[in-house]
Amino acid sequence: MIRKTFESDIQQVKDEVLALGSMVEHAIIGSVEALKKRDIKAAEKIIAEDKDINKKRFAIENQLMVLIATQQPMAHDLRLLASTMEIISELERMGDYAKGIANINVRMGEEKLLKPLIDIPRMAEIGASMLHRSLTAFVQEDVAAANAIPMEDDEVDALYNQIYRELMIFIIEDPKNIERANWLLWVAHNLERVADRVTNICERTVFIATGEFSEIKSSDDEFWEKQKKNK
Amino acid sequence: MQNSPSYAIESNDLSIHYGAFTAVKGVNLKIERLKITAIIGPSGCGKSTLLRSFNRMNDFVPGCHATGELLMQGQNLYSKDIDPVEVRRKIGMVFQKPNPFPKSIYENIAWGARINGFKGNMDELVEQSLRSAALWDEVKDKLQESAYALSGGQQQRLCIARTIAIQPEIILMDEPASALDPISTLRIEELMQELKKNYTILIVTHNMQQAARASDYTAMMMIDDQRAGGVIEFDDTKNIFTRPKDKRTEDYVTGRFG
Amino acid sequence: MKTQTPYPQGDAFHASLRTRYRVATIWQILFLSALLIAIVALTALLYKVVDGAFGYIAYEYKDDPAEFTPTPVNELTKEELLVILKEELSSGAYNKLNNEQPMQERSQADLLNLFLERLVRIDTKGTWSMTDSLLHKAEIQAEVKEKYSNAKLEFRSWLTPQFLVTPMSSKAEFAGVRTAILGSLWMVGLAILFALPIGTGAAIYLQEYAPKGWFTSLIQTNINNLAGVPSIVYGMLGLAVFVRTLEAFTSGSMFGVTDSNGRTVLSAGLTMGTLVLPLIIINAQEAIKAVPDSLRQAAYGVGATRWQTVWHHVLPNALPGILTGSILAISRALGESAPLIVVGASTFISIDPDGPFSKFTALPIQIYQWTTLAQSEFHAIAAGAIIVLLILLLTLNASAILLRNRYQRKY
Repeated sequence: MIRKTFESDIQQVKDEVLALGSMVEHAIIGSVEALKKRDIKAAEKIIAEDKDINKKRFAIENQLMVLIATQQPMAHDLRLLASTMEIISELERMGDYAKGIANINVRMGEEKLLKPLIDIPRMAEIGASMLHRSLTAFVQEDVAAANAIPMEDDEVDALYNQIYRELMIFIIEDPKNIERANWLLWVAHNLERVADRVTNICERTVFIATGEFSEIKSSDDEFWEKQKKNK
Repeated sequence: MQNSPSYAIESNDLSIHYGAFTAVKGVNLKIERLKITAIIGPSGCGKSTLLRSFNRMNDFVPGCHATGELLMQGQNLYSKDIDPVEVRRKIGMVFQKPNPFPKSIYENIAWGARINGFKGNMDELVEQSLRSAALWDEVKDKLQESAYALSGGQQQRLCIARTIAIQPEIILMDEPASALDPISTLRIEELMQELKKNYTILIVTHNMQQAARASDYTAMMMIDDQRAGGVIEFDDTKNIFTRPKDKRTEDYVTGRFG
Repeated sequence: MKTQTPYPQGDAFHASLRTRYRVATIWQILFLSALLIAIVALTALLYKVVDGAFGYIAYEYKDDPAEFTPTPVNELTKEELLVILKEELSSGAYNKLNNEQPMQERSQADLLNLFLERLVRIDTKGTWSMTDSLLHKAEIQAEVKEKYSNAKLEFRSWLTPQFLVTPMSSKAEFAGVRTAILGSLWMVGLAILFALPIGTGAAIYLQEYAPKGWFTSLIQTNINNLAGVPSIVYGMLGLAVFVRTLEAFTSGSMFGVTDSNGRTVLSAGLTMGTLVLPLIIINAQEAIKAVPDSLRQAAYGVGATRWQTVWHHVLPNALPGILTGSILAISRALGESAPLIVVGASTFISIDPDGPFSKFTALPIQIYQWTTLAQSEFHAIAAGAIIVLLILLLTLNASAILLRNRYQRKY
């Protein structure tokens, strides 16, 4: 194989992306877990660890820049490196969502949860799983998987809608609940965004493999369309 | 058969043979007017042979002949009543190694004009050609000095000036920067962007980055199992280098060929 | 512990290195000795030539100079000599000499030679080589004193300016190489006039025009072989074609020259031209080949025709090479003797060639002729003539080198 060095550099980048992905996964699950237990120490740890995620993202970005500058990638290689640049920025933002959840946990202070968490951990689990599998699809350039994963976003959206309605009922019952309901709504919204970003990763994977830009499905659009209908 | 006016030159099932051996087979290329078209491909795929067939430079190679058509303004350049000298007058050529004449800078440009019966103001032509080749400012005070005193990059631009002095319609460039340093190379590429306002340019290069940087269209050539070269993909340069359709093109532009 | 390597390490490596150097030294010594042998051979040759060209000569006057004039021989003025010659020579001989060159215009040295040659009549008793003259001076003097009591002994250089401008003579002391030099120059000039345009033209055609094929390679092979044909064969050819078949042309009878046959300097020149023609063609071909193809393509690229390319670029750039080759061909022609003997160079001629239809002799012929004579003084002037020939050849080769350096390839 010609370009052995380049190949192994690319493999290394992919490994790093997987590592970054597992950090983000861990942060998402962990932040929701901490919220569920109202464990502020754990939340603070996740906020601190987000710095590592950012650091890792910049490290990979730098690695990509060096590869682009020194290896002059073309065609597939170019698509891979350019898209990876995009993917790590998506991952970094997912990390920010997890950090956001942890921040809410910290800001809630001594306050109790409005209700026991059931659907929100479910959302986190699904989102983390989608993320995990989307990165596997990215590494293997599995177009079929990349096209299938975004479909699961529906489930996340459904859960989000359910949570939204539940929390609205709490607010209507007692306006004093507004702040606590709002915190949970925020958390759910962050998790919904995570699933959207997974869709972006899948779109990139399809582009890397085929060279075609295809919008797989904008769950965002669908969500707002549904909102419109609900009105 | 009339070729469309938006094409400067058009090949129609053009094949080039050395005796019984077919070096380039069945090429169908439509070269757009006032654009830069690059021909890329691995060594020995016949890209230079193809390029040289465009101004019948291959006529000098013993046993070399072409079949098929090469159409320029509806005329087959390989038909019997076409004189190759006339073809070369319309289709100029810049070679791999700068090859100025061992004469003065001035004479390098004037000679081609003179033998072609130029009747205008020679000084003006020399200045204009040197200006077009972005060389005037560097050599205006030493026009009578030997062209060999110039640097490689300057010599190559002189060769370009010499070519545009006879006002061809198409300029063929056979790896024009392969003997030059990177800065001179970029200068030539920049000059090509200027030249394409007035000339159609066809360039062979094995520097893929150069093709990617400098050309509008790219033709990818590859040899088949009979060792005959052919164009396997012809597309917008941006497509060739970001999303080629042919696997072999992909392997070649990503450096995984062979 | 280092891993096992198939290469010698440490002492073993140094030992093998020493062996390699030893082998190299042996070869170096062999090459050096080859060079030394060559130098010795060349030196011996030069020594032999120079040795013969200088040395003692013992001579007597057959008639005492005092019978003609009271003035000592060495102090005779031009006027005195003129008077003596006019009085003492037969009028027929005087008129003949006067016709060749008016007496008044001749130099004192020339007149003195005439005086010594025609009136006093020197009789050479013996000559000695330079080495003998220098090493055995006393013995030579004793020998001369004993054998020829009247003889004068003097150290003489046979190679003098006089030697170059004096025509042939039957007396070695008064013979020169002017006729031979002029003959050689005429012959070489005619040869090059004939061979250079034809050779260059043929080379251009072969290199630039001839289609590559079996016929062209046949011709090419023939030219290469012709360059190796023994020169005597060219002599036979010259005799058959130029001297005999084309006699009307080469003798000049076609142009109204009547006092000549085919054995003219023109025949010799044409023969020599034929001899060097393959050399010139091959040389010109090489010179044309050396013009890079990129230059031809540059010319074609701006729409030049083949002829324009050849005339404006190939030929001017090949010219120094062609001229260098021609000069070397001239040297070859200058040194040849065999074909000239066959074509019929005169061995004794004292009249300068004055045109293509003249009889002629050439330096190598002259040298050959003199060395075949028994008298040792002729061997001495042969040595002198050899030096002249060598200097001529060296000058030509040097000018070829200068020309080559002057027009060093620009591309």
